Amino acid sequence: MAEENVLTAGALTLEQDWKMPDRGTVGIIFLIITETALFSIFVAAYLIYIGKSLVGPYPKDVLELPILATICLLSSSGTIVFAEHALEKGHLGQFKLWWIVTICLGLEFLTATGLEWRKLIVHDHLTISTNLFGTTFYSLVGLHASHVTVGMVFLLLVLAVTLFRFPIETQKRRVKFLSWYWHFVDAVWVVVFTVVYIIGR
Amino acid sequence: MASIDYPLERPDIEDTGWHFAENLYRWIATVDHKKLGLMYIVSALIFLCVAGVMAVVIRLQLAFPNGHVVDPDTYDRLFTMHGTTMVFLVGMPIVAGLSNYLVPLMIGARDMAFPRLNSFGFWIFLFGGLLLYYSYIGGSGLSGAGSAPDVGWFAYAPLTTKSFSRGHSVDYWALGVLVSGFGSIASAINVIATTISLRCPGMTLSKMPMFVWVMLVDAWLILIALPPLSAGQIMLLLDRYLGANFFNTQHGGSAVLWQHIFWIFGHPEVYILIFPAFAILSELVPIFSRKPLFGRPAMVGAVVAIGFISLGVWAHHMFAVGMTSWSNTFFAASSMLVGIPTGIKIFNWTATMYGGRIRLLTPMLFCCAFLLQFLVAGLTGIMLAVAPFDWQLHDSYFVVAHFHFTLAGGLVTALFGGFYYWYPKVAGRMYNETLAKWHFWLFIIGFNLTFIPLHFAGTLGMPRRIYTYAPGRGWEIWNQLASLGALMQAAAVTLFAWNVIYSAIKGEPAGDDPWDAWTLEWGTTSPPPEYNFEKLPVVRSSRPLWDLKHPNDPDWKYE
Amino acid sequence: MSIETHHGEAGEHTEATHIQLPAPTFWPMIFAFGITLLFAGLVTFWAVGVVGAIIAFRSAVGWWDNVIPHEEHEELPIDPAHRPAPILVEDRSVVRVQVGEQGHRMRIPIEVHPYSAGIVGGLIGGAAMAILACLYGLVTQHSIWYPVNLLAGVVVPGLGEASLQQLRQFNGLAFVAALIGHGILSALVGIVYAAIMPMFPKYAPLWAGILVPLFWSGLVATSLSILNPALNDRISWPWFVVCQLAFGLVGGYVIARSTNIQTMQSLPLAQRAALHFPTDDTKSER
Ligand SMILES: [Cu+2]
Repeated sequence: MAEENVLTAGALTLEQDWKMPDRGTVGIIFLIITETALFSIFVAAYLIYIGKSLVGPYPKDVLELPILATICLLSSSGTIVFAEHALEKGHLGQFKLWWIVTICLGLEFLTATGLEWRKLIVHDHLTISTNLFGTTFYSLVGLHASHVTVGMVFLLLVLAVTLFRFPIETQKRRVKFLSWYWHFVDAVWVVVFTVVYIIGR
Repeated sequence: MASIDYPLERPDIEDTGWHFAENLYRWIATVDHKKLGLMYIVSALIFLCVAGVMAVVIRLQLAFPNGHVVDPDTYDRLFTMHGTTMVFLVGMPIVAGLSNYLVPLMIGARDMAFPRLNSFGFWIFLFGGLLLYYSYIGGSGLSGAGSAPDVGWFAYAPLTTKSFSRGHSVDYWALGVLVSGFGSIASAINVIATTISLRCPGMTLSKMPMFVWVMLVDAWLILIALPPLSAGQIMLLLDRYLGANFFNTQHGGSAVLWQHIFWIFGHPEVYILIFPAFAILSELVPIFSRKPLFGRPAMVGAVVAIGFISLGVWAHHMFAVGMTSWSNTFFAASSMLVGIPTGIKIFNWTATMYGGRIRLLTPMLFCCAFLLQFLVAGLTGIMLAVAPFDWQLHDSYFVVAHFHFTLAGGLVTALFGGFYYWYPKVAGRMYNETLAKWHFWLFIIGFNLTFIPLHFAGTLGMPRRIYTYAPGRGWEIWNQLASLGALMQAAAVTLFAWNVIYSAIKGEPAGDDPWDAWTLEWGTTSPPPEYNFEKLPVVRSSRPLWDLKHPNDPDWKYE
Repeated sequence: MSIETHHGEAGEHTEATHIQLPAPTFWPMIFAFGITLLFAGLVTFWAVGVVGAIIAFRSAVGWWDNVIPHEEHEELPIDPAHRPAPILVEDRSVVRVQVGEQGHRMRIPIEVHPYSAGIVGGLIGGAAMAILACLYGLVTQHSIWYPVNLLAGVVVPGLGEASLQQLRQFNGLAFVAALIGHGILSALVGIVYAAIMPMFPKYAPLWAGILVPLFWSGLVATSLSILNPALNDRISWPWFVVCQLAFGLVGGYVIARSTNIQTMQSLPLAQRAALHFPTDDTKSER
């Protein structure tokens, strides 16, 4: 019987100490991993097809470094962290401010991409079917831009519900996951920028 | 221990009558992992029957030289849809279905980590599959409406480009598989989050059932391997819809790129498909040998090793393409390397049986058949990993025989064993053992009758996917035997279906733990209640029910 | 998911009457349908895609409502009529085999000989072999240099064609080559010897000292014509076997006398892989 008691006591401490990772954290990490696998194929295709275009225009003739857009997108990773911290501390006003700044920076990036594409299509006559450069450029940058857009939709949703007095402080966990996703999109841009605008040019 | 007020006279399965609308709602709106798991498995079995009928038609077409059972166009669609269905609409939902139903039960959880995502995953898989099959009605190919994909299950470029495949049949293939792939990704993320976050107290990774371990690595492989396929299909769709040049050789694109992308997915995929078999064996062999799994840590190590090595072997499907000899050497060597962890698994299952008190019931019979057939499959796999050998037999019926030995002789055989094993848990009733034995012998004899001869046909030069053949090449006898075996397999599967349906209604009540088993799912009722366990269990070893049944000699004293 | 604070054995009862579970919802299914239609629009008609987009949007809103701000739950009554049968306690224990247990056919070395013992044993065994070989030279050819020259024939060019007379003479180069080759080979074989000795079932010195040299002699006999034709023509197999046996027995004796060192074989794999460290309060894994 003494043994039995030891056993139950062990089970009780076990139950109290039993901490498992948060399921949302695990989910978002593995979502990012699987997205990474998706992007890596497009990046690989881009690298393989560098310099394989049979006809122009070629990257060195038409591509300009999107410095401003890059700065905007990368700094938005910082502002979203500020927003998160503000939410953590309960400063709702600050949170809204930083959140709006993040959205503006993201929108600037998307606008810059849009303008770049318009210039390439209208001025340089580079479409997805022109040559391999067009094919890989639009698909890789487009895939990234579509991820930025998805992130932007969620950022806007959070802003909208916050402005309509939704208690966003109940959603700290989900806001955190959104910000992780946003960091991931930024990190992908670093790779895309390096591959497309530095190596590829 | 809590008080026992176990009702001796248990009311039979509820007799509340059949309310159609209510039941329909209950199944459509469910987020319960067991219902979703069952729906996955039932849809997979229906697709299995559809693709099986296709296989029988293919075998009838090839039974005699100069056959004319179907016309060549139909034949191309048959083998394409047979392969695509078996891989994406049978194998993948089986993975999702088994892990859905069993993983939460085995780790002592109430549901999956993301129940709504789980429901989404199932439905999008099903709708994706239906979209693919809608091509039989709505697709338009070279020959007009009603044209299913006809480019083979790996849809090589440039055959799939707009210039060679007009109409929409290839688009149906790409879209249907792409859409149903979302479901696989969703369920894989779910399985990983569930196993990492929802294990009951005491279930450390080293005490987690082997089944859960294998399904965890399987989910990991899906997450890594499936996105490349999706990427390839997106590229293909861009090529076909927007005139992109990924696989357009006229613009410098590369058809070989498609092969690389496809097989970066395709090889891990075969491990994704066979893992449920590994998972099933790892549970069944110990239970029916009355011994704990031999070399558990090595088994875990082996499955994790496969989860990584199998990502680096894909080009062994491409030896005939003409790669550099360095690539050939690398991929031949890495392919043989996978044989080592796989060998570890085979040895450990055998060692589990060694010295055990083996109960040769139907589930165990299927396990034994798996061991032998999968061994043959592994050996022919090593043969095909030798590049010069592959050059001789690439795209021949030898290859067909090889991968049917892995998938039909391996996966499907183990699946039947698993189905019989968990049937009493799911249905609450026992299957009919006599019918099951008939099923076993018919299926195993039929299977070997089909696929052993095809090795010879392939060695004699019979190419894969050939529509028909002239007499006098020595292929006739092997093809006739194969077709005979195919009919036997069809009969066997019919018996299985009958057994499943009949026993669900008329079978003996099974009890909660008919096999005297050791994992948590047998500690609750059959079928389990929606909440699985009244109290979430606490475990102290990898065989929690053994500990409860043997309080004087529990496992945790030794582990 | 409900936050569950009550834990117990599988099949144990609670006092509670209800259990919280995620509430059923059909929005994920409708969402999946919408997404599929969206893609189906690509192969059928654009309006199908538009309808799909609308459905997907509506169901996304429904899904959102279901989980935000809080995931909806339903209280499921515990059905006392469907409780699991009590688990039957079986008062029977099983025999558990311990690693390295007597009478058990496990051949995992718990203790091994140190590599240094292998090198020393190999060198001493090699010396014994050399003495016997020189004796053989002295007896049959009246020259201790004869076997040395023969052995050096593997590496030193020209020795293969040398006459009997030349083979009896001292050759500095051949001596050095033979010494180095023989020494290195002996040490290496000694290491292998030390490594495999604990794996032999019983009478390890007998197996290692006699049987393996015999196998080795057989291997050499089949391959010597390629490796060293000069030696092959002139070798005396009885003496060769005797030399091998001398190596095996002497080397084996030296190695067997060494102090054994513990391997980690009796530790669980997780510990050997440094993944898991046993603490005082938790029992070590298998
Ligand atoms: Cu492969």
